[in-house]
Amino acid sequence: MDIRPILSALLRNRTGAVLVGVQVAITLAVIANAFFVIAKRLELVHRPSGNDSANLIFVQSEGYGPEYQHVATMRADLALLRALPGVVAAAPSSSVPESDGGSSSGYLTSPDPKAPVTNANVMEVDPAFLDAYGLKLVAGRKFRPEEYVAEPANNDLPPLVMISESMAKRLYGDAPAVGRPVYDNGGKQGTIIGVVSDMLGSWPRNVRPGPYDIVYHATGGLGRSWRYVVRARLGERDRLIPEIEKRLNEIGNGRAVTWVRPHDFWLLRTFRPDRRMIVFLTTLVVMMTSVTALGIVGLATFHVNARRKQIGTRRALGARRADIVHYFLIENGLLSLAGIVTGALLAWAASGWLASAFQTPPLPAGYVGLAALALLVLGQLAVLWPARRAGAIEPAVATRTL
Amino acid sequence: MLGYYLKLAWLSLARTPAITALMIGAIALGIGATTTTLTVYHRMSANPIPARSSVLHAVTIDSWSPDRPADDENPADPPPQLTYRDALAVAAGAPAARTVIMRKTAMTVDPGAGRAPFLIEARLATRDFFPMFAVPFAYGGGWDAAADRGGEPVVVLSRETNERLFGGENSVGRSVRIDGREFRVSGVLADWQPTPKFYDLNNGAYDTAEDAFLPFALGAALELQPAGNVNCWKPETLAGLRDLLGSECVWIQLWADLPTAADVERYQAWLDGYVAEQKRLGRFARPSNNRLYDVEAWLRHNEVVGQDSRMLLAVAFAFLAVCILNVVGLLLSRFLGSAGASAVRRALGASRGELFRQHLVEVGLVGAIAGLGGLVLGWAGLKAVEQLYSSYDRLTQLDLTMVLAAIGLAVLAGVLAGLYPAWRICRVQPAAYLKTQ
Repeated sequence: MDIRPILSALLRNRTGAVLVGVQVAITLAVIANAFFVIAKRLELVHRPSGNDSANLIFVQSEGYGPEYQHVATMRADLALLRALPGVVAAAPSSSVPESDGGSSSGYLTSPDPKAPVTNANVMEVDPAFLDAYGLKLVAGRKFRPEEYVAEPANNDLPPLVMISESMAKRLYGDAPAVGRPVYDNGGKQGTIIGVVSDMLGSWPRNVRPGPYDIVYHATGGLGRSWRYVVRARLGERDRLIPEIEKRLNEIGNGRAVTWVRPHDFWLLRTFRPDRRMIVFLTTLVVMMTSVTALGIVGLATFHVNARRKQIGTRRALGARRADIVHYFLIENGLLSLAGIVTGALLAWAASGWLASAFQTPPLPAGYVGLAALALLVLGQLAVLWPARRAGAIEPAVATRTL
Repeated sequence: MLGYYLKLAWLSLARTPAITALMIGAIALGIGATTTTLTVYHRMSANPIPARSSVLHAVTIDSWSPDRPADDENPADPPPQLTYRDALAVAAGAPAARTVIMRKTAMTVDPGAGRAPFLIEARLATRDFFPMFAVPFAYGGGWDAAADRGGEPVVVLSRETNERLFGGENSVGRSVRIDGREFRVSGVLADWQPTPKFYDLNNGAYDTAEDAFLPFALGAALELQPAGNVNCWKPETLAGLRDLLGSECVWIQLWADLPTAADVERYQAWLDGYVAEQKRLGRFARPSNNRLYDVEAWLRHNEVVGQDSRMLLAVAFAFLAVCILNVVGLLLSRFLGSAGASAVRRALGASRGELFRQHLVEVGLVGAIAGLGGLVLGWAGLKAVEQLYSSYDRLTQLDLTMVLAAIGLAVLAGVLAGLYPAWRICRVQPAAYLKTQ
């Protein structure tokens, strides 16, 4: 079908068409950027944790009384936890993964303090941590029980460390890291004895240290407050939580068990802003596209009603129903296209504003394409109903009112 | 005349209930979405202490590493906290009406009587904390200068902690067992929850206020471990709190009361002098970079209003714009659809102005109903998003300002949507329509 008569009809009645075109443009600009943000947040929320997250329980114990004995209490706690039916493994763990809280330190591959520093999440654990988290040894060996220092004299780099796969890549690239040294910024040296499969560390959103960059020290802490990670057998987690709280409170003088929580607690808290953004943006995108679709329906209905006589005349002159329907589909297609081109420009502008205001990466063209396609399909679907009504106008209309 | 216009408007709206509902629905949705996001944004950016916000100043000095800035992403900024020794020196020497140095710690309260001990967050602060931040007391008050110097075992409890320990009664003078020691209650706070928690943003701007407040000097005397952020750059052996006190780690917050611009200038000069003197002693290897921020500047500097809420606000306004455009289109087709009736009214003597007013009344009616609908939707939206926010549901309460803003927005939206269609319809040539009747 020739588009020239459709175009000139549109241009004769500009206002309504311009209004819908602008709606399409704004909608495109917003949803292209919204799709991009939603995709990034979904990727973040669904990033693999690398550990047996669904079965992990974390416990915090806080010594406070003068009679409190840190090392003895920890030893007794771990013996109790490991002997509980339903527990696969347990270990001390200085911080909770993905909790947005923890400790980080800089590591170097040379004793020269001017050498480049790689930051990593430091986790203080004991030799059982691989089983307790459900991690795999990728290279080298595990800590031996006699290498664990329950009460270190200070927080210096210990002589032996294990590191995550990501950290090994950062420090030594593709070369094997086992047996190689790491240094702290004071020039103290440690040796990498093993490489562990990746899990998300304390700060899943961070760039420095990267989310999977972890260095494990086989040390107990300096304070009187400590945490344990307990891995439950499948289906036993929720039963174990109150049990652990009760049993631990029965032993150890001068200490309080401050909390016993599933890993989910932190996942919900840490990713709450991202889930919120996903919900908010999805809702706004749905509302916006619905309103735009209704605008398209409204304009097309108005056009159909205003042109009943012309449509009847065309039908009387031999146009088929399909011709009438096609007319409106093409009219909407032209309109959407104009809106989409304007909207694409707007989307780039909006993305530029976002990039400068929030340091977000630039909007990839794919998202504009996706949003454009979605709006094109939506427009055609929205116009279908009024177009079919136009197709149903009888040729007799042409004779009746003249 | 208004009554007649209203009747005409009502008849016209009732004639096409579907389109009327669509128009009202579109504006109401737009207003609802905008009200929801605007309320959260408004709450987030609210000034938590308007009466004192220009007097209070957060103090920062750049004591960081010679090799790299404290924050790689904002290399010009000094670290947000101070070292222990600098905090003590500045608080003792710098010329301010009042100064507070403080930090956060965790302590265990033993309520006795067979009840389980529980962990509290405590703020260790010097006594001016309470008057400087206008902290309201329900009973008693802070402590005296002797307690600040000697680190006497006194404590100020939050309302919740007092509720938990003493059932909410006046507990001033009574004793609480904390970390295995007896502390005397010197005061109990009334409800106090500054949002955002401007005085210490290190653990999140919407962190809750502490459960108890104790003299700063107790921290060193009892070797209380920090519970807030501690950031270090220098290779130093840290075997315990003693080492931390002497280290280059930053972990102490310092605020000063500086009522006039001259006070700020004098304070700044003193800080610059202090850093110059420390440089001679071999510390402060970075360029001298000491900054004072009043409360609003501090909140801006720490980007308290998240990017997410700003982005949502922009999206919500774009949505409102789409809704308004939509209603313009619908009104236009309605008005032009009933152009015959308007033409008859013109022919019978109605002026353009009268027609314009008549249509504006119709638009106004739509706007008013949609505004009310938008308020209800906004309120429902806030209820719905409440669970998406954590403890700080104070962010999702509709207040009078927001109700007025929503009504204002609805009226504005209605007028914006209605002006052009009303203008178009009163310029219709009556003859063109009368001919075909």
